[in-house]
Amino acid sequence: MTLAIRTLAATGLAALAGLAAAQPPRAEVVHWWTSGGEAAAAKTLADAYRAQGGVWVDTAVALGEQARSVAINRIIGGNPPTAAQFNTSRQFLDIIDQGMLNNVDDVAAREGWDKFLPPIVLNAVRVKGHFYAVPVEIHMTEWFWYSKAAFKKAGITAEPRSFDELFAALDKLKAAGIVPLAHGGQPWQENLVFAAVLSNLGGRDLYLKVMRDRDPAAIRSDAFKQVLLTFKRLHGYVDKGSPGRNWNDATTMIITGRAGVQIMGDWAKGEFTNAKQEAGRDYGCIPGFGPHSPYVVQGDVLIFPKTTDPLAIRSQKLLASVVTAPATQVAFSMKKGSIPIRTDIDVSKMDVCARQGVAIMKDVSRQVGQDELYLTPDQNGAMVDVLTNYWNREIPVEKVQNDLIAALRD
Amino acid sequence: MSASRLTARLRRLVPWAALLPLAATVLVAYLGAALWSLRISLSSSHTFPASDFVGAAQYERLFDNERWQLALHNLGIYGALFIAASMAIGFLLAVFIDQKVRGDGLLRTAFLYPYAMSFVATGLVWQWVLNPDSGLQNVVQQLGWKSFVFDWIVDQDRVIYTIVIASVWQASGLVMALMLAGLRGVDIEIWKAARLDGIPTWRVYVSIVLPMLGPTLATAFVVLATAVVKAFDVVVAMTQGGPGTASDLPAKFIMDHLFGRANIALASAGAMVLLATVLALVAPLLYVRGHAARKAAKVTQ
Amino acid sequence: MNGRRPRFTPARVGVYGFLLMAALFFLAPLYVMLTTSLKSMDEIRLGQLFALPHAPSLDAWRSAWSEACTGVSCEGVRAGFWNSVRIAVPSTVLPILIGALNGYCLSFWRPRGANLLFGVLMLGAFIPAQVMIYPLVKLEAAAGVFSSLTGIVAVHLIFSMPMMTLLFRNYYAAIPSELFKAARIDGGGFWRIFVQLMLPMSLPIVIVAAIMQVTGVWNDYLFGLVFAGRDNLPMTVQLNNLINTTTGERLYNVNMAATILTSAVPLVVYLVSGRWFVRGITAGAVKG
Repeated sequence: MTLAIRTLAATGLAALAGLAAAQPPRAEVVHWWTSGGEAAAAKTLADAYRAQGGVWVDTAVALGEQARSVAINRIIGGNPPTAAQFNTSRQFLDIIDQGMLNNVDDVAAREGWDKFLPPIVLNAVRVKGHFYAVPVEIHMTEWFWYSKAAFKKAGITAEPRSFDELFAALDKLKAAGIVPLAHGGQPWQENLVFAAVLSNLGGRDLYLKVMRDRDPAAIRSDAFKQVLLTFKRLHGYVDKGSPGRNWNDATTMIITGRAGVQIMGDWAKGEFTNAKQEAGRDYGCIPGFGPHSPYVVQGDVLIFPKTTDPLAIRSQKLLASVVTAPATQVAFSMKKGSIPIRTDIDVSKMDVCARQGVAIMKDVSRQVGQDELYLTPDQNGAMVDVLTNYWNREIPVEKVQNDLIAALRD
Repeated sequence: MSASRLTARLRRLVPWAALLPLAATVLVAYLGAALWSLRISLSSSHTFPASDFVGAAQYERLFDNERWQLALHNLGIYGALFIAASMAIGFLLAVFIDQKVRGDGLLRTAFLYPYAMSFVATGLVWQWVLNPDSGLQNVVQQLGWKSFVFDWIVDQDRVIYTIVIASVWQASGLVMALMLAGLRGVDIEIWKAARLDGIPTWRVYVSIVLPMLGPTLATAFVVLATAVVKAFDVVVAMTQGGPGTASDLPAKFIMDHLFGRANIALASAGAMVLLATVLALVAPLLYVRGHAARKAAKVTQ
Repeated sequence: MNGRRPRFTPARVGVYGFLLMAALFFLAPLYVMLTTSLKSMDEIRLGQLFALPHAPSLDAWRSAWSEACTGVSCEGVRAGFWNSVRIAVPSTVLPILIGALNGYCLSFWRPRGANLLFGVLMLGAFIPAQVMIYPLVKLEAAAGVFSSLTGIVAVHLIFSMPMMTLLFRNYYAAIPSELFKAARIDGGGFWRIFVQLMLPMSLPIVIVAAIMQVTGVWNDYLFGLVFAGRDNLPMTVQLNNLINTTTGERLYNVNMAATILTSAVPLVVYLVSGRWFVRGITAGAVKG
């Protein structure tokens, strides 16, 4: 090649590189934040990204299963998004094994993620020593919500602080003609109620032995049997129309005072807010029984499909940085009903239930993960099948214990 | 070779050429996917295909699975009731609309519109209507009939019937449309002859027209049968498979394991079992029909 | 029937009675959907399913069409309308043509091995389509059409082929073979007989095929989501985003309005197609 041509080529390449550097970061994000409140939360991420000069391309797909399946299919088909929402869980471990994700180690190192992320979340996003996901928020799935009006009508003066007190309260509600426990009869909701009993009645150790270690001895223990029996006992306080009901409709029962208590995650606040009810005034939120009740952590993360395109990589890194920024964290969680992933920020603007949650999170000994953090999706699903059948049918508790051992085996 | 013989040869190839899209689709898409599915069902694939070989382990797990057994059981009940009811109602609707009734255009749309709507919302409406607290039972009791009970949808053993009701509601209109198309092909002369002979209308339909509708009935049956095997969004929208897993169907089991549970090996095993069941039911039928057709073809040659 | 409307008889009353009862059963859910879509969420929370709305309002309809959130963008279901059209037109016309061609070929020409292909095709119709997604993704990626309009039309063609072929094959099976033989004797070739004789006779079944295919394609969600590519996402994606949420709030009035809006196109097809369900258009052709 002559000198002239080589110079021309070099200049052209430099110009192109300059062009690439001048292009703004562009992130196409696949997520399932589709309802009004969730979309408003996603918008805070989009706004924060735009404020840093990035372009947010939104690809919303309803329902977690569908959204994750779309992300995986697009990765397989060679047309991956820049980032995709997954749960803080083991859902994306297979994808990492296939070598299909980029890591964001340098962002994590620069911003000190290992300093402010709770251990549970840290362990979920750091796999084999690399950071493959950026956590977005933390939800707690086992809050007890109650209608102040219903409690007043039933003559309940204090929040229950144990399961015995809870059953006493439920009995009072029943006597007053109010549906004691508002419940939506869907398998995931039954799983949620079970986890509330396991964490509050069984305690942190039993919870971890069953969910994290899948220890058959723990599952066969008397303590766990009590947990199962208590779980089944709650079924007696649920109204006949509960099977199939959406969780929002159960929350509506609390809002209208038709029911007394609901066990649901902190996203339930969205329904109360939509009905113009206020925490502390119209409804109450109990994070668990006693000062050491486990705080069951769940959440969402963004993962970054593998790409060698420099612009895409830059966009991914910017996204990882933007999402964990304190201002973004507060803005997002306020819209979503969740709490931020870091406890080192000012949360005075959040509602009373969220502030309570953040305070509890500061105590690491109270943190446990929701089942998805410990179990593979398949094990989790098999466990839910057993639990939902136990809830709905008359099955001897010993059989349930054996079925659970079988469901949770490798 | 002469030009005319060449063109004659080429012309004989035209039917095969015309079937190229069919051949490509069957061989590459369907057969290819079925074989791939079979291979996956013999492995331990989770989210992604794995290249190991675990023999019949997934099938063993499948048959040990209480939920799958229940799903198959439900499939039998659902399939039989759904096909019978949709065929009967669709046929009756077609026959009655065929009687030169006034407003047949509106009536036809009234029966066909359910088919136009996705079950995501209509399934929820059926859930509300069949729910004892908010739906039909509540309304009828408020109207005075206090002992009226209609709570199948929360009953473990009867929830599958509610799925049948919603599915028949959706599919009967299509069967009606198929039947109407078939009835259009019935020669007017037959009606004239029947009137002359004084045969009552219903007799004509049952003894003369119904047999003539053989191919139409066969088409309707196959359309319904494939819908039965693939039925899953009605379950998701109405009951989420509940109460518990009482209204589960094989397609929902497969979908759950394919996507949510990241166990494509088990899902593929389920799909293979479903296919094998269909094959077992259909193969004898096809053989008999093919045999009869070949005999008929020999006779006419 | 020779055109005169039958007289008023008990049998006639029975016919109307049955049809009206059936219409009530079929229309009940639509009634619930319409009334729910006209109520406010506060009224819906009261749970009176069959009650008429106190203060009917079209807010939910407006929201569903152009304001409801389907992600970060809040533009209702309108956003996907033209994409759905762009997918539906080729995905209806092409499968019907190929289905008719297949049915014609299988019924009259019967090349050797064709029936076996047809048998395997029909068996393939019993495989839950979702199981086939992974291999199809890989296939389309290899062919370079993944995430494109061509990609989604190809997928619709593949999955509709069994039903379309079945419809036409069985329809042609009912046509007497003398007609075909006479046409061949008259010197007709493969394509001439197809285009000039069989297709014109197929109008009723084309209408049914169109009903089935338009409905299936317009309401398709999963394939459009996976194969069409971000720029071609159909209306059903917005609809599902609007209705389905795991932990977010549900606005039932907007959901109902959005569902009815989304189903408007198939409904219009049904209404318009009614004209061709008039008896007698093929009655004369057979005797020729």
